[in-house]
Amino acid sequence: MSESLDAYRSDGRLTTNGWRAALEDGVLLGQACADCEHVTAAPKAACARCGSRDLSTVQLPEEGTVYSVSRIEVAPAGFDAPYHVGLVTLGDARLTARLSDAAEIGDSVSFQNAVTTPEGPAPRFG
Amino acid sequence: MTDANVVGVGMTAFGVHGSTLPDLFAEAALPALDDAGATADDVDAFYLGNAMGGQIEGESHLAPTLASHIGLAGVPCQRYEDACATSSNAFKNAVRAVEAGQHDVVLVGGVERCSPETGKETDAMTRIFASAAHGAYERPTGLTFPGVFALLTKRHMHEYGTTPEQLAAVAVKNHRHGSLNPRAHFGSETTVDEVLSGPVVADPFRLHDCCPFSDGAAAAVVASADAAETLSGDPVRVAGVGHATDIVPIADKAHPSATQAARDAAGQAYEAAGVGPDDVDVVELHDCFTGAEVLATEALGLVEDGEGGPAAAAGRTSLGGEIPVNPSGGLKAKGHPIGATGVAQVVELTEQLRGDADSRQVEAADVGLAHNLGGDAATTIVSVLESVPRRDSDQRGEVAR
Ligand SMILES: [Zn+2]
Repeated sequence: MSESLDAYRSDGRLTTNGWRAALEDGVLLGQACADCEHVTAAPKAACARCGSRDLSTVQLPEEGTVYSVSRIEVAPAGFDAPYHVGLVTLGDARLTARLSDAAEIGDSVSFQNAVTTPEGPAPRFG
Repeated sequence: MTDANVVGVGMTAFGVHGSTLPDLFAEAALPALDDAGATADDVDAFYLGNAMGGQIEGESHLAPTLASHIGLAGVPCQRYEDACATSSNAFKNAVRAVEAGQHDVVLVGGVERCSPETGKETDAMTRIFASAAHGAYERPTGLTFPGVFALLTKRHMHEYGTTPEQLAAVAVKNHRHGSLNPRAHFGSETTVDEVLSGPVVADPFRLHDCCPFSDGAAAAVVASADAAETLSGDPVRVAGVGHATDIVPIADKAHPSATQAARDAAGQAYEAAGVGPDDVDVVELHDCFTGAEVLATEALGLVEDGEGGPAAAAGRTSLGGEIPVNPSGGLKAKGHPIGATGVAQVVELTEQLRGDADSRQVEAADVGLAHNLGGDAATTIVSVLESVPRRDSDQRGEVAR
């Protein structure tokens, strides 16, 4: 993909740390599999659907729809409840995200920024 | 290849225990050996399930420690970790080792302490449980374990119209069953209104949609057909075990609420046993949350897709119904000490198939099925057990086949 994404890759591959760094820069990255066309928002060393290593780094759409959502009221240590977590469909990919407000399945949401947490950055949609 | 048989079982009450992991495990393991009529000398290997002893109690190298505590020092020991499917994975490997002729008699068990008695309160334990979610792509969102199953269940509600009242019916049923089980964490019944008025944990789940943080242990003795003949415990035959996984994280699964790993594992287990869902008489399945039971009854083929909620509400899955699910009370009422849960399902099925389950006995139970999932349902192990005619002195040669 574009050369500007090279900074997030290591040996030509998008690593988890590269995905995190991009997220913190406000860029949502994923991978597209050349063999089975699976697009993931959770980059890996090989395609989770088919095992192919022929993965290209792609920038994910920033507009999506809510696939499922829950309002978390009992939080892990280090998190302040309540908050909303959702699965968001972004084109051909699906992403787990923090939602800034209550939402219903099928609602349109857009990428806002990265939220900083004790477990690392998470994408926030609203 | 020989058949594997469960010839002895034991478990502690599930609930709150102050004892150490070795002492707690002994309360399940020694009765299991006694039930099998086995001595320590009879046991060839030890398979342990413990998921989070490292995080909760700072314990590792646990299998040899427990073996030494119960008189099994010297046998090969192995520990399995697969989140909530931990001791089913130990059970599967124990069965495989016996079937392959590597061992004749194996002790398999699980132990875990998750209650506040460990010194870990709800927020700390919620964080430890969340360690089964993906570290980069899920945990930073604040996703919790109830949250994982809430996402699956909300989607199922959207796809099929499953209602909160139907989810509550699962809790009511399993509490009623648990009230018949002296080993259950919760011995009291509940009502749909009580479930629906509880505090929200992760919507659509309220407090009574969720299993408790429990302590407990369970153990079983698995023996080859020949070894079972020499031991006095009444055998139950392991007819088939299936084990499948799906993609982690949830968002990457093709159809998260279908719980494909359960469908795949069930298909393997049914095929190995030569039975289908209609042949199953009694089921112990992984109801960590009410919605998980709805998804599982469908994935196992016990009801049609979309019918899990209505089936629970109509009593089809109750004791006395067409396919009793979780007569023990399930994780919901019996309790869920993570690493002990899978083998505890085997304990309940063994007692059911022996006809020893007292007031929660399923009538004419000859085929039992256990479904134990781990993580976001990406791991599922399904086991089919079958009754063996009661042995008496004349039939001794018949029973172990
Ligand atoms: Zn692929």
